[in-house]
Amino acid sequence: MDKIFEYIPQGLIITLVAIVAAVGAMLGVISYLILLERKLSAWMQDRRGPNRVGPMGIFQPFADGAKFLLKEDVIPANADKVLFLAAPGIGLLTTMLAFAVVPYGPVGAAGAPWFLRFIIVPGVDIGIVFIFAVTSLAVYGVILGGWASNNKYSALGSLRASAQVISYEIPLGMSVLGIALLGSTLDIEKILTQQASGGFWSWYFWTQPLACLIFFTSAMAEANRLPFDLSECEQELVGGFHTEYSSMKFALFFLGEYTHVITTSFLTAILFFGGWHFPWIATAESAYAGAWIVKLLVLLAKVFMVIVLIMLLRWTIPRFRFDQLMNLSWKALIPLSLANMLSVMTVLQFGWDRWLLGPISIGLFVLAGVISVGFKRAEIRHRPSAAELSQQLVT
Amino acid sequence: MSDSAVQGVLYGSLAAGAIGMWLATSPRTAALRVLGAFLASAGLIAAVAMFSGPGGDVTNKILFWLFAGSALLSGVLMVTSREPVYAALWFALATLGTCGLFMMQAAPFLAAATIIVYAGAIIVTFLFVIMLAQQQGRSFYDYRARTPIMSIVASWLMLAALLWNFQAWQKAPMAAAGPALTAEAATNPFSQPSDVDQFDSLRALGLSLFGDYLYAVEIAGTLLLVAGIGAIAIAPRRAEGTL
Repeated sequence: MDKIFEYIPQGLIITLVAIVAAVGAMLGVISYLILLERKLSAWMQDRRGPNRVGPMGIFQPFADGAKFLLKEDVIPANADKVLFLAAPGIGLLTTMLAFAVVPYGPVGAAGAPWFLRFIIVPGVDIGIVFIFAVTSLAVYGVILGGWASNNKYSALGSLRASAQVISYEIPLGMSVLGIALLGSTLDIEKILTQQASGGFWSWYFWTQPLACLIFFTSAMAEANRLPFDLSECEQELVGGFHTEYSSMKFALFFLGEYTHVITTSFLTAILFFGGWHFPWIATAESAYAGAWIVKLLVLLAKVFMVIVLIMLLRWTIPRFRFDQLMNLSWKALIPLSLANMLSVMTVLQFGWDRWLLGPISIGLFVLAGVISVGFKRAEIRHRPSAAELSQQLVT
Repeated sequence: MSDSAVQGVLYGSLAAGAIGMWLATSPRTAALRVLGAFLASAGLIAAVAMFSGPGGDVTNKILFWLFAGSALLSGVLMVTSREPVYAALWFALATLGTCGLFMMQAAPFLAAATIIVYAGAIIVTFLFVIMLAQQQGRSFYDYRARTPIMSIVASWLMLAALLWNFQAWQKAPMAAAGPALTAEAATNPFSQPSDVDQFDSLRALGLSLFGDYLYAVEIAGTLLLVAGIGAIAIAPRRAEGTL
């Protein structure tokens, strides 16, 4: 066995293991996340959810997978075949590629087996920008799929998607700039180790709560998750951009969306909640045997909590109207993220205490709330009454 | 070959390429157009052949030809494709190929920023417009070349200027492998590269942008701001009934 390893470069094995672990775990986990989402939806709506296949329905993902594979594969008659077939692939490929720089475990932890690295591409010093760049390409899948279907509902869905993704990319990028300034790096691994070595109170959530909110909201919009899934809303657009898609091609779109959700959850946990760090049990100093397993479990638990939060939000907040969606991005999130970035720059430039950033963030949030409520009240006060409106119509 | 001979061949092949392209766009017989296309590509290849190939090991060479070739091929397909949507997509692929070249030059931030701005935002906006104006069949103006001579002269002049610059750089001794920003090239003390940098590759870029090229950055920013204000001023108001 050792003889064989002599001829294979160790780096190759490590990278292959990292890729296989990430992709394999991703595909397996996604099928069970779908089951979890269906169960959670059911519980929130006082139903039972899927419970026919196996005890508690735990074999439902296999049934779903078989159904995806066996269903008829329809390509509409006047569709643009090349793009129609390419679109789901582009969607999945780009979201999967973004995961390459996300550390999914304690990178470089002592005691871990040599072939486990927990990140596919280590040491990318523009990690966050790389993720934004690659996920900004994911919209091509949605746009091309909608356009190539030669269906008006699909085209409308993809038009909405392109407007939405372009709008929400701006606050998404700007919200992370605060962390980049505070840690003076864009490397995700370094941001994680900074928080881990700083302890519980150096989690960036405490200094950047507003940025966390903006990041989470924009990332949900980027992933087309439910409060923001206007590109596929059922009441208006049948299925939106994937109306014409069936069987495995539809499944690829679905996989892409869930991969996006998982990447977002990893990023939220790592950038704002300390990654694998947790006081007492998983710190930078913890050196007991099996510490790396605990760190891995802590990170995965945090990610799982974020995913569950996203699923709960799905049935908690109703879908936005399209003008509300655009207003939220352009009139609320972008100014707020700019103000947040400016406050970080001010604090760093004048060498003030970093803890000021928490209250500043809360103050900005309250200010934004007061302004928006004030505007709405002024608008309601000056709204023309029914009599005035009819008068206007007559004249 | 002497310097003047090299320059003669370079500009001769460029001129031949320009004439070939003019022949290819002119609405004459098909044989002339084929001849023109042949002449244009031959001129281009002859001009590019004056430069030495990519340096580095085999992997580097393969990657270079992969990225450069895909960028070039997508560029050609973008110009020649008849469907506007496909043209936009080939544009996106050309951008991605160029970003690969940026990556090979150890400029990952530039690559990522180009992907975000061009492939992620600008071309998506193009697609948006193309889908809104989705026409059945193509209009007559898609087949016609207006003022072909002007555009051919402009494009080949720009190519000649670029190649002349590259040639000048190639002669300079600092073209050997190493950091893109060498100590001699850095005009301000901040942007001199250091081997051990606790900050990342972004530091050198930021210091260079806001040190060496401060005025250029500020002028570009002001220009963008003015353009943004102008766009808002031009855009019709809701009261005017167009939105």
